[in-house]
Amino acid sequence: METITHKAEIENTFSRIRTISFEEKKSPLLYEEKVNAFLDVIIELKKILIEKTQIINNINERIEKLTWFNDLDEDCMMLINDLISSAKDLRSSLIRQYVSMNLIRKKAIAKDEIRDFKNAIDELKETYEDLESIFFYLPKIKEFVETTKQLSLI
Amino acid sequence: MEFYCIDDFKTEFEKLISKKSYSSLNQDIIDYFFGKSFQELCSGTRLNNSDETPYIKKRLSGRGGFRVYFLLIMKDENLYLMFVHPKTGSMGSDNINDESKAYLYKKVLNCIKTNDLYKIELNTTNKKLFFIKV
Repeated sequence: METITHKAEIENTFSRIRTISFEEKKSPLLYEEKVNAFLDVIIELKKILIEKTQIINNINERIEKLTWFNDLDEDCMMLINDLISSAKDLRSSLIRQYVSMNLIRKKAIAKDEIRDFKNAIDELKETYEDLESIFFYLPKIKEFVETTKQLSLI
Repeated sequence: MEFYCIDDFKTEFEKLISKKSYSSLNQDIIDYFFGKSFQELCSGTRLNNSDETPYIKKRLSGRGGFRVYFLLIMKDENLYLMFVHPKTGSMGSDNINDESKAYLYKKVLNCIKTNDLYKIELNTTNKKLFFIKV
């Protein structure tokens, strides 16, 4: 009895392998096409992320350079204020994009590119916060202003 | 260019380089600061609206690396390292707040006035920083 059961299981397994083997022989190209299409999407995603990261890093560098400008007038200060608001808005959009990639991140797809993208977004936040601090908050801290005065006398 | 630091920098620096994950800081500092002119070091985020004594925050070691706060005094060509922190890892932290920036700024001024500083030099192989109490 046991031998019959074993035989049936062996036959079932053999049958399954035979079917799969036949299907794979029949359509290897189709499968390869699907893999290639999938890889193309990943390559495209990586390309987009690298481009976006470069754009954000360039913005960060440009914002950083603004901190070396002296004696800005009221119009310039207003522009700086608007620039900070736009940068905050930009960051919100980018963070939404980052969050939408949660599933991709969990699968460790484009891991390095997503990490660099996130670092650039974090740096954008740091850069506009610094800009805000430099032009609007630090000049209101008395001891900070006083230290600058004293240093100029050294 | 002469290099100095206040104890806040020295303490943080020594704490960080004792951790394997932050040991690159020593070389990062050497590579960025040593052998550079005053003008070359005038880059990064300037915090104090001064060309003669710029108070600078510099990102080191690429994205997500270290943040170094330092003061340059053009007249003497002296550089004063004030603070360092990593952005990521177990000891990573966000931006320091405005009060801390003001505190460090005032502190470095007082330390310069009272000579409460460490002079920073490179050892003979130019691979390690060492601190000499002034």
